[in-house]
Amino acid sequence: MLTELLHGADTGGFLVIQDSTSCSGRHLLESFISAALNREEAVHVLGFDVSEEELTGGLKGSAIERLHFHNAYTDPLGWTDQPSLTLHQFCSEELSHLLKPTSHSKSTILVIDSLSWILRHVNPPAVCKTLHQLRKGGAVRAIIALLHADMHQRGTVGSVCHLASSVIKVAPGMKGDETVAKITKRSKSGKVVQDEEIFSIKEDLSVTVHSKRSQPGLKQTETEEQEADPTANLTFNLRLSDTEREAKEKLALPFVFSKEKKSALLHSGPGSGRILYEPDANDDYDQEDPDDDLDV
Amino acid sequence: MAASKSGVSKPAVTSFQKKTRSKLISISGTRPSVQNGQLLVSTGVTSLDYLLGGGLAVGTVLLIEEDRYDSYSRTILKYFLAEGVVCRHELFVASAQDNPDDILQELPSPILDDVAIHKPAEQPRLPSDPPDSLDAMKIAWRYQNLPKVQTALASSSRFGHYYDVSKTMEPEIRQAAKCHRFYLPEHPTQSSPTHSTMLKSYSALLKSLQEVINREGFDLTTPMSNSRNILRVGLHSLGSALWGDDLCCRDNPRNGHALATFLYGLRALLRSSLSVAVVTVPSHLIQDRALMGSITRLCDNAIALESFKGSERETNPLYKDYHGLLHVRQIPQLNCLASKLPDHKDLAFKLKRKQFTIERLHLPPDLSETVSRVSRGELAGAPTAASACGTGTSGNKHLDF
Repeated sequence: MLTELLHGADTGGFLVIQDSTSCSGRHLLESFISAALNREEAVHVLGFDVSEEELTGGLKGSAIERLHFHNAYTDPLGWTDQPSLTLHQFCSEELSHLLKPTSHSKSTILVIDSLSWILRHVNPPAVCKTLHQLRKGGAVRAIIALLHADMHQRGTVGSVCHLASSVIKVAPGMKGDETVAKITKRSKSGKVVQDEEIFSIKEDLSVTVHSKRSQPGLKQTETEEQEADPTANLTFNLRLSDTEREAKEKLALPFVFSKEKKSALLHSGPGSGRILYEPDANDDYDQEDPDDDLDV
Repeated sequence: MAASKSGVSKPAVTSFQKKTRSKLISISGTRPSVQNGQLLVSTGVTSLDYLLGGGLAVGTVLLIEEDRYDSYSRTILKYFLAEGVVCRHELFVASAQDNPDDILQELPSPILDDVAIHKPAEQPRLPSDPPDSLDAMKIAWRYQNLPKVQTALASSSRFGHYYDVSKTMEPEIRQAAKCHRFYLPEHPTQSSPTHSTMLKSYSALLKSLQEVINREGFDLTTPMSNSRNILRVGLHSLGSALWGDDLCCRDNPRNGHALATFLYGLRALLRSSLSVAVVTVPSHLIQDRALMGSITRLCDNAIALESFKGSERETNPLYKDYHGLLHVRQIPQLNCLASKLPDHKDLAFKLKRKQFTIERLHLPPDLSETVSRVSRGELAGAPTAASACGTGTSGNKHLDF
């Protein structure tokens, strides 16, 4: 599923990469940027966390022309005279103005690096509103955001992820260069798909998915199931030969009744009464159901 | 005897008056409650109606706590609105996330000739059944004619319609219904400095709803006109961040009482009008349980959906037939001291193509003597087939008797 997301299948999507101090999601974000650039899409980066040099260091080739870095790293709060991008500009009107220069909005991708910086300084409901408006507004094809989940209250992370169409949670893997990704993807119809994959990122920012992590809990139960075959070593006979079965069938057990007796006990026989009534012309028959107001 | 004689001579003079239906307000898609005579409307989900005591009483609010991915709560909201369209009620749809038109376009298609669903074949077997069915049970044959345990909740009479979720409602049917929309991003918000505890978005919503109720004559205080109708109010994902509410975002929300204040206003508005509301709230995001409690208290009915999607319960064999659990948080007490509680607390729901059903959750029959006290947690690990053969078998290989 990770490769599917990298190829950017969903339009109008909002992808959140959730990381923590134990595992950074920045490399995955860079992979997403490079994958988008290779698709010949324009990528706008709102950079709060790292400088332009650090972010674009791994990217090579001519594709880098389509990367537009909006520098909010040097002066995020607008303390100097000429800040290039400040936090106050994080509202849908300003941002769509910022994204204008690239003409074809069909293939514009907005990367937010990182959402945590914004959430620290702007009211979370306002951030959610802006993200939602950007997504619905049609100025961008997709939004990819990095979120350091351990920096915020649970509710804030939950609210942002509630808006997202896909959430990738990264966690350290078993080996050094491996990372485990827990992916939750919501389709427009409301269907939810979840998956867990192990991947590693090479020097050229290409992602290789190794395997789907097998659930260790499930494996254990399978082996247990194989061990527990109760019919394997029995001290008595479970199976019957044909003659034995015949003999068993012949035996009349106590309290087993004949068919007739059973039916006599179950159904009331012909001895019991029954009321037969045929309405005749003189009957005062009420057209309306007298009990219709009872609703039974 | 004397009375009967006088009755014969002067038939016109009698104190007896037949109770007729004409005294009640007759509106399509409504019926009076069996318990307290309240006017009820259907939620569109037959088993949910049964659970809430026959249906939603007009003038009340149903709170649905959303499941994690808001898929099933949204489905119920759509059922509620679709039922309104079919019964020709008026609708009021409000949302901050999706355009109300999008929600209305997703309404499920009604199955209008669906009488076949309750066939007499499902009824308990009649005594005139062929006698060869006696062979079905050899030992416990006395139980043969007992009716099967009905897990699905359903009342005896039909109320509400069935819907096909795989298809959307035809545009002609949909457009026949009158619908009022409230989409927060498109709504001009006026500055209202007087309401300090209420958010602008909520007060705008309440004002808009009040306007519709007054203008379209749903108000009960206005003189009775001939054609009365029901207004169905559907409010989607109230309290989420998109309403400008930080209830879900923070542990100590700054405007934590904004939603409660709104619900107070909503309830006052509904009580004096012919309208009924369904409100969904993303309660899994709300960290403060006390606030959630006060929100529940301010609604009349409250149910919570807990989807198995993404939880470890998804793989539990106990739940394999279901899509999630349904918790009844509150049942209304209308004009009485005690409310009718559901007879069963463990409820689960499943969404089939043609029906959203709520069923009683049964434990599978436990066959052995030793595992009769197995807890649900243990059951999660062991597969069902093996659980019948004893739990201690993995340790000792031999089964000695």
